[in-house]
Amino acid sequence: MSLDSTSSTSADDSPDPASPESVESQLGSVALSEPVAELASAANQVARNGVGFATASEGGDDDEEDADMGGEEGPVGRAEEEVWADYGGVGGLAAAEEVGEGLGGGGVVWGRTNSELEVDEPASPSSSGYAGERGSSGASSGELEIGEVVEDEIQEPRSDGVDGVLDSQASWVPGKRHVDEDDASVSWRKRKKHFFILSHSGKPIYSRYGDEHKLAGFSATLQAIISFVENGGDRVKFVRAGKHQVVFLVKGPIYLVCISCTEEPYDSLRGQLELMYGQMILILTKSVNRCFEKNPKFDMTPLLGGTDVVFSALIHSFSCNPATFLHAYTCLPLALATRQAAVAILQDVADSGVLFAILMCKHKVVSLVGAQKASLHPDDMLLLANFVMSSESFRTSESFSPICLPRYNPMAFLYAYVHYFDVDTYLMLLTTSSDAFYHLKDCRMRIEMVLLKSNVLSEIQRSLLDGGMHVEDLPVDPLPRSSSLPSHLSQPKPPTDSPERFRETCDWIAGPAGLWHFIYRSVFLDQYVSSEFPAPISSPRQQKRLYRAYQKLYASMHEKGIGPHKTQFRRDENYVLLCWVTQDFELYAAFDPLADKALAIKTCNRVCQWVKDVENEIFLLGASPFSW
Amino acid sequence: MSLRRRTLLKVIVLGDSGYVHKRFSQQYKATIGADFVTKELQIDDRLVTLQIWDTAGQERFQSLGVAFYRGADCCVLVYDVNVMRSFDTLDNWHEEFLKQANPQDPGTFPFILLGNKIDIDGGNSRVVSEKKAKDWCASKGNIPYFETSAKEDYNVDAAFLCIAKTALANENEQDIYFQGIPEAVPESEQRGGCAC
Repeated sequence: MSLDSTSSTSADDSPDPASPESVESQLGSVALSEPVAELASAANQVARNGVGFATASEGGDDDEEDADMGGEEGPVGRAEEEVWADYGGVGGLAAAEEVGEGLGGGGVVWGRTNSELEVDEPASPSSSGYAGERGSSGASSGELEIGEVVEDEIQEPRSDGVDGVLDSQASWVPGKRHVDEDDASVSWRKRKKHFFILSHSGKPIYSRYGDEHKLAGFSATLQAIISFVENGGDRVKFVRAGKHQVVFLVKGPIYLVCISCTEEPYDSLRGQLELMYGQMILILTKSVNRCFEKNPKFDMTPLLGGTDVVFSALIHSFSCNPATFLHAYTCLPLALATRQAAVAILQDVADSGVLFAILMCKHKVVSLVGAQKASLHPDDMLLLANFVMSSESFRTSESFSPICLPRYNPMAFLYAYVHYFDVDTYLMLLTTSSDAFYHLKDCRMRIEMVLLKSNVLSEIQRSLLDGGMHVEDLPVDPLPRSSSLPSHLSQPKPPTDSPERFRETCDWIAGPAGLWHFIYRSVFLDQYVSSEFPAPISSPRQQKRLYRAYQKLYASMHEKGIGPHKTQFRRDENYVLLCWVTQDFELYAAFDPLADKALAIKTCNRVCQWVKDVENEIFLLGASPFSW
Repeated sequence: MSLRRRTLLKVIVLGDSGYVHKRFSQQYKATIGADFVTKELQIDDRLVTLQIWDTAGQERFQSLGVAFYRGADCCVLVYDVNVMRSFDTLDNWHEEFLKQANPQDPGTFPFILLGNKIDIDGGNSRVVSEKKAKDWCASKGNIPYFETSAKEDYNVDAAFLCIAKTALANENEQDIYFQGIPEAVPESEQRGGCAC
C-alpha cells in the first residue's frame, strides 16, 4: 500500500489519506494538546514524596490479563506521556542519557527527592518532544552529543567499561556479570537496569547483576512491597522514585521486577518482564506453579541452574533486537526460489509428524513450517531462538531438549531437536513425542542433503554477507509496476539521489532525504524487515539508542486509552522519527535531524513501495503458519 | 551460579522484642512492617543463606501475615527477658504463625525461642527465668532455646546456626517438580496459538 493513490491498485480499505499532502495535514492535526502541566504536578507530587504507588484498583477482578485491559496507569503514567511535538522539539532524548544514579542512597527504591535529580542536569523550561516528562520531574534537556548513549551499565572508566558497555552483537559476551556485587555495593546501585525474578515467598530466583543469594534481603524487600500493596486489596504496577521506575509483574507465584532509569516507557518494561517470564516458562513450563502450591518454600534456583546466560542474552536483546517490542519476527532475505526450496523440504518433514520445523540463521528465519493448524507465536520464536543461541551446548552437537512454548501450550513440554549446519545456521524440529530423536535425526539428514544440493546453505551465507535492505539503495523514483527485479537487495547500486546534507564529513552516507533507517512491520504476516544501519548509526551504542527511540515510538503509538494513532512525526536533536500505522503495516523511519518533513513523508511512501516490490525476498509468504 | 550446594532459608522473626540482630537497620520496619538481613553460614558441605525477616515488635502488621510468612523455612520467636508481657504473648505469636503460614506439618515445623536483652542492667531487671522459658519450650514440642544479647552480639550466631540446622533437617527433597509435569499432551488436545 502506498500513500500515493496513483500506485495503489488494491482496494484501499483503510481510511488513510491518499496523498502525501493530506498525510502532512494529518500530521499537523495530530499534534495533540496534552494536559502536561496538570499531570506534571501530579508527578512532582510523587517525586517529592519519594514514592508513588500506581495501582489498579479493580476490586476482586485480579486476573493478570485484565490488568492490561484496564490500562490506566494512574497519574504518574499519564504524566509520562509524551508531547506530540510537531516541529522543534528541542528538549530531547539526550536528557534520557544521564549517568545512572544510585537506587537511592539509603533506601532501596524509596526516597528519591526531586532536588537530588537535578544535580547534573541543566535546567531548561523546555517540555516539548521527548522531554515532556523531564519537565514534569523538574529537570530538562541535557546537552549530550551523539556518541553518549543510554547504557544499562553505569558509566565506568572507558577501559573497564568495555565489558558490558560496548555490547554489540560482535563483542557482547553472554553470561552474568558483576557476580560479586550485592545491594550494598555502590556499583550495583548505579546499574541502570536491573531485572529480578523471585518467588512469592521472596526467595530470589534470578538477578541480572549480583549474586542471588547475597541479594536475598533485597528480594525479600521486593516481595514485601508487593504483598503490602496486595494486602490492601490492590496491586502495584510500578513505583516511580526519582529517575527510577520500578515495574512489577506478578505471575501467580512468580514475581518479576525491573528497576530502570533508562526512561523506557512502562509498557515497554512490562513487555520485557513478560518475555522474561516466557523465557522461564520455556525452560520449566508452568508446572512450577504446582510446585509452589504444594510447597511455598519451593526453591526454583536449582532447576534453573546454568540458565543465567539465557536470561542475560534475552535482556541484552531488549536493546538490540526490535522483535522484543514489535512482537514480530524477521526473515533472512533470500531469493524466492531459494526460500521455496527450503520451505518445501521442511514441509516434507512436517508432514511426517513434526510439529514445527524451523530453519534459522542467527535470529532471522530462513523458513518455517508448521503442522496443520499449528501456529507459532513470534514471541515464542524469539524465546526459542534466544534459548538455543545463548546455550553453548547446542552449537557443539545435535541436541534433543525439552522446551515449552509459552504461547502454544504453557503447561507441557515439547521436544526440540536442534542441529547447527554452520556457525550461524541451525535447524529446530519440534515434536510432542519424547522418543522421536532418531526420527528427527533422519529428518535432519534429509533436510541437510536437500539444502546442500540446492545451495540453500551457501545462499544463506551470501545473504548474511550482503545484508538486507540498505537505505542508500532506496529506488529514487517509483519503478514501473512491472519490474519485479529481485536485484535491489543484493546489488548495491550507487545512490543517484545522494544525501543533500553532508554534515561534518562525507562519511555520512545514508538514504535519500536524509533517511537513516527504517523498520517495516507487516501486520498480517507478523513479520518485520529492518534496514541495515548506515554510517551515522554504525556503533552499537547508536543502534541501541535508535532502538530505544523506536521502542518509545511503538509504545506511544500503541498506548491504550489515547490510541490508536496513525501517524507521528517527531523531531529532536538526534533524529527525525516518522511513524505510520495502517491496518496492513507499521512503518518506523529515522532521518537526519535536519531532514525536511515533506520530503521525509515522500520518502516513507517510497520505502513502503520498495518493501512491496521485494516482499517475496524479505518475507516468508504463503505457506507460513502465521498468515491467516 | 556456584557449583557448591547452596540453600536459601527464609527465617521469620516474631515477637514483642525488637532488635534481635546487630545488622538490622530499621530501614523498612516502619513502612512495610519488616526489615531484612541476609546471613551466610557454612554447614557441612553446604553454603546456607539465611534470609531473615525481622517483624519483631511490629504488632500492627500482624495482618500482613499470610504474605509475609509464606514459604518460611523456620520461625524465630523472641521475647525480652526483662518484660513479662513479651513472654506471655509468645503463645499468641506461635499460634498466629502456624495459622498464617499454614505449614504442611505444624507439629514438626522448626521453631526456636530467643530470650533477648539479657545484658540489660547486668541481668538484674530480669523477670523471666531461664527455667520458665525452657518449660514453655518443652510444652511446645521441645523448641530449642537460646539466651541472647543482640546488643552485645552474645549467642546470636549460635542461635542462628541452630536455626539453620533445624530448618535443614526439616527440608524435604525438592523432586516435586519432576513429578508434576505432564507428558506432552496428545495431538487431539493441542491448542494452537490464537483461535482465529
